[in-house]
Amino acid sequence: MSLDRPTILLADDDPTISDSLAPFLERAGFHVLAVSDGVSALEKAQAHHPELIILDVLMPRMDGRETLRRLRKLNIWTPTILLTQVGEASERALALEEGADDYLNKPFDPHELLARIRAVLRRARPGERSLSAAWLLTANDLSLDRRARRATYAGKVLELTPKAFAVLEHLMTHPDEAISRERLLDVVWGWEYPAGTRTVDTRMAELRRALSDDPAEPRFIETIPGEGYRFIAPVRGEG
Amino acid sequence: MMRFIRRRWRRILYITLPFVVGLIFSLLAQLLIPGMFPLLTSIDFGPIALVFGMTIRNPAVVAFVFGFIVTAIILFIYYWDRRRIAQTHTLYADYLQEAGDKRKNFLRRLDHEIKNPLTGLRAALVNLTEEKTEEERERAVGNAKRAVERLTRLLTDLRKLSDLEERAIERFPVDVPELLDDVVTAVRILPAREKREIHVLIPKVPSPFPAVIGDRDLLLLAVYNLVENALKFTSDEDSIEVRALEDGRSILIEVADSGTGIPAEDLSKIFEELYRGSNARGTEGSGLGLALVHRIVTLHHGGVGVRSSQTEPRGTVFTVRLPRR
Repeated sequence: MSLDRPTILLADDDPTISDSLAPFLERAGFHVLAVSDGVSALEKAQAHHPELIILDVLMPRMDGRETLRRLRKLNIWTPTILLTQVGEASERALALEEGADDYLNKPFDPHELLARIRAVLRRARPGERSLSAAWLLTANDLSLDRRARRATYAGKVLELTPKAFAVLEHLMTHPDEAISRERLLDVVWGWEYPAGTRTVDTRMAELRRALSDDPAEPRFIETIPGEGYRFIAPVRGEG
Repeated sequence: MMRFIRRRWRRILYITLPFVVGLIFSLLAQLLIPGMFPLLTSIDFGPIALVFGMTIRNPAVVAFVFGFIVTAIILFIYYWDRRRIAQTHTLYADYLQEAGDKRKNFLRRLDHEIKNPLTGLRAALVNLTEEKTEEERERAVGNAKRAVERLTRLLTDLRKLSDLEERAIERFPVDVPELLDDVVTAVRILPAREKREIHVLIPKVPSPFPAVIGDRDLLLLAVYNLVENALKFTSDEDSIEVRALEDGRSILIEVADSGTGIPAEDLSKIFEELYRGSNARGTEGSGLGLALVHRIVTLHHGGVGVRSSQTEPRGTVFTVRLPRR
């Protein structure tokens, strides 16, 4: 609403959270609209056209997931971050249907939220469906059918473990973005632990083998020393 | 000849008829008043056999004795069954009692684990608002951060445990030597653990070491927790060994240390959620590490055990047993 400051709609029913997050986000250069339930979030989203929406899942009157579904049904494709975790495959399919742009699990560091917000805003193409809501992702001769949980490369179906598939899925829905090992652990494994970063490397090696991607001259997955990984091929989403 | 056969027939008829009629009566009783079975059957069997036996005269005594025996057997079965049901009830009550105790223990321990960091956090907040010097305030912030870290860690571990209740685990071949190497490498980068010596022992023959079928990430977490645990309860002078063995049927992964050992009274409880042994009260950690190990190993159809001694030869050995293929 206010000039050149992106507006964020923050919906969380816990005042200790919204009262602390709102000033934090204001300091970071955003204009924040805070609401405490799904129904008001839906109303505000239609009235104020925020640049980004942050929804908690458990809220009175209408929960975050339902709010998001209604928004998408109204053809409002405002980038949205859901404050929950997507772990199980069934949940992933659900998440796909909801079309949230990113997920963040409580408890989180506010700086992590800020990083997610910036990444989502950078990725967003106003008014368009985001890659996170696409059923089929393609990058050159690699395609990912998220509904069937199947990846094909150069016409052949790749044999991937479910974890490796989930890693590839996260990378492809967040192309051109540096993604840390910790973040991948949080998203794909659901919890992070010290030995976990090596776990990510193991899956990454599996993915690279399957894609015959040379880490020295990557076509798909690039290693960023000290930071993590980045999917460098251009990604298109369908459906 | 014919007379002889006829007499034989009549005798057989005399003996069998009372039982057959008794049986029909008991079946009828069962159909009409099913709830009364088997008591009714056993009661009516004898008298019916007697009455019929007497009307046909000869085999009355045999029929009566037979009816009596059948009655006794049925009564015996009836009471034996009742006792077994009673026993099952007692077992179930014990189980409920135990589950209730477990839950109570868990809540009590959880309360304790949350109380401490929360108290620290509140004190830090008071200091933050009341302290005058910048230095003091910084210290308060540091303390608050540590308390938050502890709470976060507790929550993360609780979530891991509840996750493991629901999620299906992967089943792929896991290279054990590589797994142990990864654990040791990961442990070495922990702060203040760089200098600690951890020996990995893996038999070279027969080669290669057989694989375990399971979820690599979870197994890594389990062994990691055991090694981290060993590091926590040992000093710089102690040694730690991580070793793998196989005995044809299962694969054993052992984490051994020469630390102070675990008191005997704690040994049976250390795999319980949030249980803290008497020598673990002061140490950091969520109190869920070993419970996680237990859960993960159980999900792999294996078992985890511990042996420990506080007198020479001193030390603790955790053994994870995983089935081969």
